[in-house]
Amino acid sequence: MQPMKGPIAVLRRLSVAAFAVAGACGMVTDSNGAERVKTSAPIAIEGDASPRPWTRYPGWTTRNFSGFNSLASTASPPVALQPRKLDGPIVGDPAIGRQLVADRRRGGSCLACHIMGTAGNADLPGNVGPDLSEIGNAGRDDEWLFNYVFDPRVYNPETIMPPWGTHGVFNDSEIGHIVAFLKTLKEPARFASALDDPRKRPTPEEKRDNLDPLVNPGMWAVEKAQELWKTPGPNGSSCVSCHANPEAELKTWAASMPYWEPRLHKVLGVEEFVTRHAKATTGQVFLMQSDENTALAVYLRYLANGTPIHLDQTSAEAREAYSRGMALTTRKIGQLNVSCADCHSPDKGGLKWVRGQWLGQLRGQLDHFPTWRTSQQSVWDIRKRFQWCNVAIGADDLPPDAKEYGDLEFYLAAQNDGLKLNVPGIRH
Amino acid sequence: MDMAEQPRIKLPGQARKGEIIEIKTLVSHAMENGLRRDQNGVTIPRKIINRFVCEFNGQLVFSCDLDTAVAANPYLQFFAKVEEDGTFRFSWTDDDGSTLTAEEKIIVTA
Amino acid sequence: MRLISRRDAIGLGVFVAVAGHTAALASPVEAESEIARFSAGATPQTRNITIDLPEIAENGNSVPLAIAIDSPMTERDHVSEVLVVAERNPRPVVAKFQFTPMAGRAQASTRIRLASSQSIIVLAKTNSGVLFVSQRPVKVTIGGCGG
Repeated sequence: MQPMKGPIAVLRRLSVAAFAVAGACGMVTDSNGAERVKTSAPIAIEGDASPRPWTRYPGWTTRNFSGFNSLASTASPPVALQPRKLDGPIVGDPAIGRQLVADRRRGGSCLACHIMGTAGNADLPGNVGPDLSEIGNAGRDDEWLFNYVFDPRVYNPETIMPPWGTHGVFNDSEIGHIVAFLKTLKEPARFASALDDPRKRPTPEEKRDNLDPLVNPGMWAVEKAQELWKTPGPNGSSCVSCHANPEAELKTWAASMPYWEPRLHKVLGVEEFVTRHAKATTGQVFLMQSDENTALAVYLRYLANGTPIHLDQTSAEAREAYSRGMALTTRKIGQLNVSCADCHSPDKGGLKWVRGQWLGQLRGQLDHFPTWRTSQQSVWDIRKRFQWCNVAIGADDLPPDAKEYGDLEFYLAAQNDGLKLNVPGIRH
Repeated sequence: MDMAEQPRIKLPGQARKGEIIEIKTLVSHAMENGLRRDQNGVTIPRKIINRFVCEFNGQLVFSCDLDTAVAANPYLQFFAKVEEDGTFRFSWTDDDGSTLTAEEKIIVTA
Repeated sequence: MRLISRRDAIGLGVFVAVAGHTAALASPVEAESEIARFSAGATPQTRNITIDLPEIAENGNSVPLAIAIDSPMTERDHVSEVLVVAERNPRPVVAKFQFTPMAGRAQASTRIRLASSQSIIVLAKTNSGVLFVSQRPVKVTIGGCGG
């Protein structure tokens, strides 16, 4: 649970004292006919757009990942440089190894990425890594197998495989069991159905009518936002006071987001803009990821549905944000030691299966956000998706308004350039 | 999330006599299955919509007993054969006994 | 994807041939007793029951399910009740549909929760007590590396 003082402290900090220049709340149309956020749109400069200290969402793992890199900090154990020498042959129980490689509680474990013969009943293994069903016949000695699992970087510095030993997921004796099991793998895997074979599994296609409220419960956000639009805040004004006709005035705005905000020296996405702009104008406080903020963020993009995403990268600062974002996608983080690119770039894990889930590439991942998530039965914005991915790979999540997430969203949006907004989406 | 929001219902406003029309319904409800625990490890009690009824001009068309495996925000799609003008009445009953109802009229032409 | 075998369902255990291989319904006792209760001793017939389910559900929280049973839906001959069972769920009965001739079609769809990969069993009864049964397997993905 978030500490009670968090949101209240944030409210105090989003003080009335420091507003940006309150120019006309006008939109500027650029040479492409698209609307851009005029950098004089009033925004609250002081304070954060989400509670501090940031605490993880209830229901998410409470494990502490401070011993590993996050997008904002460096903490992982040093990379092993040399393979470890073993005292003698591996003593392990292949039956225990067979269970460990399929253990979903250990980061999806080996089956997340590898076909491994009959392990886990060959039930929806992934194919990010090579098929290991015949590794027992590959002529690898115990020491090589042990070290590959313990820390594959000693043999392949470019690997995307987690360093299971160096990062403490498996201890030496468990790795021994795994090696003993690997040595028994000498036959191609036999699948109960073609669906289990990741090489034959049909790629999922999203065909649902995401704008039909009967298909997509996430459409609640549009109706809620339309109500909020007219609801006065403490200042007596509401969105409609300046934006009487959002369907016309904001028809393309959201497609230009996120943008570089010089007054805050960071990238602002729609969600953070809503928090700061509402506070500076109507006085309402809609923190990021609150129901109200999510509804308005959905609505603002919904108004721009059909408009191609296109960011303003003319300023040096915007281009630097892009570069920082790109660097963040190759930054290895978490106990599993993977980067965004490791899973989402087609030259690594992208367009392959991790267990039973398809890994999409970066392009095509933003145009439908915020999205209704059927597994969560709620609407998630892109920052929450970043937080979830971070935690899933064993890295601490950052607050949704972290500047790193801003840079990442900027880079991601640039990869989605030209794709038309289609919000709210519906996904797993 | 409770049955506070209005249910969503989709059906044609008009049909020909004897036509079979499609009806889609969605209601906002967490459908708490009684198996989840909160952060303190305490089981969240079961609370679901357990019954849905659709009547036309007072006669039963279609009904459903829902159990905990019906997904949150329960969606039900079914059909109705209309012979005359009238009113569809829909009701959703919660475990706690409360009922949400909605009505939709239809014009039936010869 | 769904065939009714010629073996009768008698109380416990329904054998169905699905997609070319025979799978014994290793249903837990609860599912079997619900099925037995619904069946009330009737012998299931072959009939066109279509069960629409994804082959692989994107998650277990919201899986679309559509059922259609071939029936004239007249006063004399109509499907009156349909039982949907998820054999490996904590509570196997998913839903029971009641149809009347005014429904026009013995067809309904909804979205369900599935705890794991399993088969969905659909039993349908007509107003004269004739029983039909079919089943369809669905694989349920539970998180890749974490969801």
